[in-house]
Amino acid sequence: MILRSLATLVLFGLLGLNWMLPTLEVSARGSDAQIRTDFDAKLAIGNRLPPLELVGLDGQIYSREDLEGHRVLLTFERSVDW
Amino acid sequence: MNRLRIYRFLMGTLGIALLVFGAAMVVSFFLYQRPNSVPGIPTGPVGHYFVAFTGCALLGWSGGLLGAARDPMGSRTVGTMTVFVLGLMAFVRMVAWFIGDYTAWLGDLPLTEATILLLLAVALVWLRPTVAETVAGPIADKMVEKATKTGGTA
Repeated sequence: MILRSLATLVLFGLLGLNWMLPTLEVSARGSDAQIRTDFDAKLAIGNRLPPLELVGLDGQIYSREDLEGHRVLLTFERSVDW
Repeated sequence: MNRLRIYRFLMGTLGIALLVFGAAMVVSFFLYQRPNSVPGIPTGPVGHYFVAFTGCALLGWSGGLLGAARDPMGSRTVGTMTVFVLGLMAFVRMVAWFIGDYTAWLGDLPLTEATILLLLAVALVWLRPTVAETVAGPIADKMVEKATKTGGTA
């Protein structure tokens, strides 16, 4: 009986956490509209690329200055192959 | 006895569901090996390797669940482990939702799934046979058998 009660307590604790998760500040996510606003403001056509350092597939670090004067296509992908 | 009947129904239903899921995963692995095949499960070769492994494990688990549905007293620990695994599966879904990598694919579905899994786990905790029932089961069976033979009360 004690173990059953303990298991129920743990499971209801998880249930409570599950229901609370969307309301927690730490799990808040930006809306699509917000992301588009940020994107448009920083990376609009004609704007200067913000300072960055990217690690290439060859292991070298590329900065904004390295890319200047070249035609560059930047693509962003998930790093995990799932 | 209604409690045990519901428990057997839940274990049996879950067992059949996992049997179907497990078989589908194993079949999906083999179908993916055909040239130019489109994966039925959205993952690559490495993912399908694990899909097949998971499918085999689900088939094994479903066997345990169906055995527990047939003989809940003799397979009590299957219910215990199932409760633990359901809780673990729910926790994994909560973490998956929290880190956000799966949001574009699944939205809030992991949270809904976690709720269902946890409620099912709570139900199994209270429906599965107690230790006393498990110990008394064979004795009670013998008493009923004896009463049936003698035509009287045990």
